[in-house]
Amino acid sequence: MADIPLPPGFDAQKIAQAQRAFESVLGASKVFFDELDRDTYKDKFAVNDAVHHPVGAVAPTSVEEVQAVVKIANQYLLPLWPISRGKNLGYGGTAPVLAGSVVLDLSGMKKIEFDEQMGTVIVEPGVGFYDLYDYIQANKLPFWLSTPGNSWGSVMGNALDRGVGYTPYGENTKNICGLEVVLPDGDLVRTGMGAFANAPTWQAYPFGFGPGWDQMFVQSNFGIVTKMGLWLMPEPESLMGMDVEFDKPEDLKAMVDTIGPLRRERVLTQSPSIGNWLRAAAVLTTRGEWTDKPGALGDDVIDAIRKKFHIGWWGVSLRLYGREEVNKAAYKVLERAMNDIKPMSIKPTTWVKGQPLEYSGWTGTPMTFPMQNVNWYGGRGGHIGFSPVIPQDGTKALEQFRRTYARYKEWGVDYQGSFAFGERHLTNVNAMIFNKDDPEMMKKVDPFFRTLVKDAEKQGYGEYRTHLDYMDLVAQTYNFNNNALRRLNERVKDALDPNGILAPGKSGIWPKRLAGERGR
Amino acid sequence: MRKILILSAALLALSACSKGGGDAPQGESQGGPPPMPKPLTVASRPNATGGEKLYLEKCAMCHGPNGMGTGLIARRSDVPLLEKRDDITPDFVIQAARMGIGNMPAIPRGEVSDAQLKEIADYLAAGPHETPQ
Repeated sequence: MADIPLPPGFDAQKIAQAQRAFESVLGASKVFFDELDRDTYKDKFAVNDAVHHPVGAVAPTSVEEVQAVVKIANQYLLPLWPISRGKNLGYGGTAPVLAGSVVLDLSGMKKIEFDEQMGTVIVEPGVGFYDLYDYIQANKLPFWLSTPGNSWGSVMGNALDRGVGYTPYGENTKNICGLEVVLPDGDLVRTGMGAFANAPTWQAYPFGFGPGWDQMFVQSNFGIVTKMGLWLMPEPESLMGMDVEFDKPEDLKAMVDTIGPLRRERVLTQSPSIGNWLRAAAVLTTRGEWTDKPGALGDDVIDAIRKKFHIGWWGVSLRLYGREEVNKAAYKVLERAMNDIKPMSIKPTTWVKGQPLEYSGWTGTPMTFPMQNVNWYGGRGGHIGFSPVIPQDGTKALEQFRRTYARYKEWGVDYQGSFAFGERHLTNVNAMIFNKDDPEMMKKVDPFFRTLVKDAEKQGYGEYRTHLDYMDLVAQTYNFNNNALRRLNERVKDALDPNGILAPGKSGIWPKRLAGERGR
Repeated sequence: MRKILILSAALLALSACSKGGGDAPQGESQGGPPPMPKPLTVASRPNATGGEKLYLEKCAMCHGPNGMGTGLIARRSDVPLLEKRDDITPDFVIQAARMGIGNMPAIPRGEVSDAQLKEIADYLAAGPHETPQ
């Protein structure tokens, strides 16, 4: 029993009492405190396997059961770590920040309520992208999802963590319309028009009356979201676009400065993502097929891989959605703009309703194959990502790339980078693929990550989302007026959750009771 | 079969250079790679029941025709689709799911119960299945 991870203030006897209390309200079939259970709820992509271990998990399947769990957690001062499906691999997956927390596994809550006229849906936390896709297929509904590269996870979890997809509805968090939330004291609240009992407009108007709270429950630990409204894109009449490859690293500047204005002008309404050669290659092949040399890959190997698979140093896909006549006119604008900056290749694509559909992220089709990249180094693979938000400016993007690429070479890591467009920003995702069976490699990951955080901080660039290990570090970089935002977050936290039971440490927000755990 | 699957993965991955996935051109005049298969879900086989239905719901996202699991198994086996294998035992399925295997993460009981996992394991062990992919 000595190696059971326990939360602060607990011994084995007290945790056993709490377990029995959970069993009394949920039944034993929804309470998981065996050693194997603890293992299955650990972070599969952990850089440090010794931290973030939960003591167990509970899996309520109704709002009433969630409230009953919250009541017990308050009685025992027992930290809960809510997960939707726990598939945000690279950010912590199912594991909590604070060791000894109980995972609140909501993957069994899978209700879907679809408004076929308006194209809105209410999902519970356990509804995955494949589940919602399946519902749409089974009911032959003319709507598309906006799916992330790993679509194994929860629709709600993705939106609440500000994950993205690749259609015009790709910034999923912007398409949230109304939440139902169990607060840390067990109260149940609905946001937006949901605050008006029986309003038929809960999924129609996101703001309601008075302050809007939806984003308060995004990347936070202020409540347990049990229902989420989401707008879906009506199936377009036409989809057109092009896949464009560029030959040289320095082409990044022209790409950003050409695509950026088209995005801001909304000629492009989806969010393109410029990715380097390894983003493609790591899915196709493994490093061992090309070299056994340690250190970052040299240009000779990179050139050979690119040549074999006909890929540019950078690639980007641009897509137009909507009426065919409009798309045809916009396509000419895109084509001219791309040709002006001399790409290596342009591959056009076109589809109209009634033709066979391409099953890809561009049509909101769920997918998991991009995760094959974790096999790049062989062994038990994993990855984490360092993803600062940077200005939508070609010169600054190129500088950021050069700075980061130099660091990858210095630390002997193969560079997988991308620059994903928002409407006014770029998210620079730098993936670190690793092999957990290579101890020398694993030793480098943490100091390398911290170096990148420091480099970015000097430029004023902060991360949009991060792994459990770095939530305190990243929160610390948001440092205006002596971390005034974190102080505000923690005042709200203590007001809503005086016992500090809900996800302590999430996004660097600690309740007063557990403030001593910060940075540990 | 192995060559076909590897080709599919390669074509998908090339377009994944731009993230978002297999953006295979469909234009008649451009030629290009063949269209990718539709994801395998319960709606693909509405009459499925028991272990088969659970397999579609819980496993097919990775072990369907263009899933991560299929792509990685294809690197070391000629029969990467689990439903097509004749050498799977129930114990192996349960062990792989609960402990994780290779790059497959462990699956907790909150997501797939012991009873559900046994149904899936028994279904796969009764293979190969002549099911459409």
